[in-house]
Amino acid sequence: MAYKPLEEGYFVIKDEDQPVLIGSYSPSADKYYYPIRKLCPVTSEPVEDAELPTEGELYSWTYIEMPMMGAMPMGDQKGHGVGQIDLPNGVRIQSIIKGVQGDWEIGMKMRLALLPIKERGSNVMCSYCFEPVTD
Amino acid sequence: MSNDVYVIGVGMHPFSKMCPSTRDMAFNAGTAAMEDAGIKFKDVGYLYNGYIGGMMLEGISYAKDFGLTNVPVVHVENASATGSTAFREAVNAVKAGEAEIAMALGFDDMMKMGMQMAQMMMGQEPKIEQIVLPAGFFAMWAVRRMHEHGTTVETFAKIAAKNWNHARFNPMAQRQAKEEVTPEEVLASRMIAYPHTSKMSCGAGGGAACAIVATEAVAKKLANGRPLVKVAGSQMKSEHYTEGHVFLGAVVGPGELTQVTSQALYEESGIGPNDVSLVHVHDAFPIEELMYYELMGFCEEGEGDSLVEKGETTIGGRIPFSTDGGLIARGHPGGPTGLAQIWDITQQLRGESGKRQVEGAKVGIAHMMGAGSICVMNMLQRV
Repeated sequence: MAYKPLEEGYFVIKDEDQPVLIGSYSPSADKYYYPIRKLCPVTSEPVEDAELPTEGELYSWTYIEMPMMGAMPMGDQKGHGVGQIDLPNGVRIQSIIKGVQGDWEIGMKMRLALLPIKERGSNVMCSYCFEPVTD
Repeated sequence: MSNDVYVIGVGMHPFSKMCPSTRDMAFNAGTAAMEDAGIKFKDVGYLYNGYIGGMMLEGISYAKDFGLTNVPVVHVENASATGSTAFREAVNAVKAGEAEIAMALGFDDMMKMGMQMAQMMMGQEPKIEQIVLPAGFFAMWAVRRMHEHGTTVETFAKIAAKNWNHARFNPMAQRQAKEEVTPEEVLASRMIAYPHTSKMSCGAGGGAACAIVATEAVAKKLANGRPLVKVAGSQMKSEHYTEGHVFLGAVVGPGELTQVTSQALYEESGIGPNDVSLVHVHDAFPIEELMYYELMGFCEEGEGDSLVEKGETTIGGRIPFSTDGGLIARGHPGGPTGLAQIWDITQQLRGESGKRQVEGAKVGIAHMMGAGSICVMNMLQRV
């Protein structure tokens, strides 16, 4: 089984199944954004595609007491975590986070990971999530 | 001649979980507003229908229930701020001289809308662009607030209990508790998304609300001894970039959006927060109301918790918020929500609010956020 992005244009899957988010860099504002922008939100000037860092700090989190829509179950959880992660280049990502309430603390290091959604033929279609860095 | 615009009539169909068709509710709210204003539908020069759910052309079709009068009819949709936007458009139509009298009519049924969406999404793959549930999004505001300012879950529970108790005296409210609701009950209710429990979260339901605005000359002619209610200001802003801006998955933009919109409102009206008597906000969850105390300038940043502790935002306090129960208890069907705020403020300024009356109310603000996102604020003043 090979891992594939559920939708094109948001992230790519690199070696060892490491996802990397694709955003935009604005030379005119010297700012990064996610997801890809058509023009810089600050200057309305052109932007370039840019790979974003895969690690950041947890800005906030919550645990929603209902299952993720359409996702493969992560263990026997009845709900799912959601967090906002600040990347070192100033981008804040809102995403599913792995774990349960009690696993997360604001400021902790988080790393981007694949989130399997469904099987399609010989592929596993994936979104992405963040998980606490333990190593 | 004055270019000022006045609210001349308001009406509602009660918000509830089990409600009749949106068509019937819209008719009831519109008829009630016209009776309140003392006009007939033939007098209405512009109609703005605000609804999120429903089918294409529903608004124009429902308008026929009032009569066929050649009136221009427009469908307005701005997510949760739909009713507030319809009101603003009606005000602008009168201000621009397009009509002497304009009507803003909001209706929706979130229960039916929820079922339709669930059917639509059944079997479909999730989308990366899909926003997280509003309960999750605003819960993250709350967790961050607790981290930065030491806000406790008890403070959130007190805000929610206050709004439940305000709704006890609002016959149009969806949640009308028989007994006083305590913060302990709020905390004991089912967890939705930490730290928000079910009694802290606005419930799904349906309803309709209507407001009619007119020129000063018309308002004076129809006053019939009642105080005039002037639209002192109306502002709408979408987002601009801020540090840590979330583009994907956000329900609404940064809190700063409310700050910028309220500053524009204060400048337009010449009325500052010290002269405001009551406020309605997009209190879908108590963290929002708490944040808006500060973002709208009713206290300094980080001091909102103290306002709650002192009961200053309760009816009888220094600056009552959500006097009809707010989104948490009056309800939030979508299209009519912003117009329900106008309904309550108009009655408050006329002194017609009974047990929920804010004594001596002179100025009220109605604030709504719409997902996407947009902030709409309307200010009414008794003159």
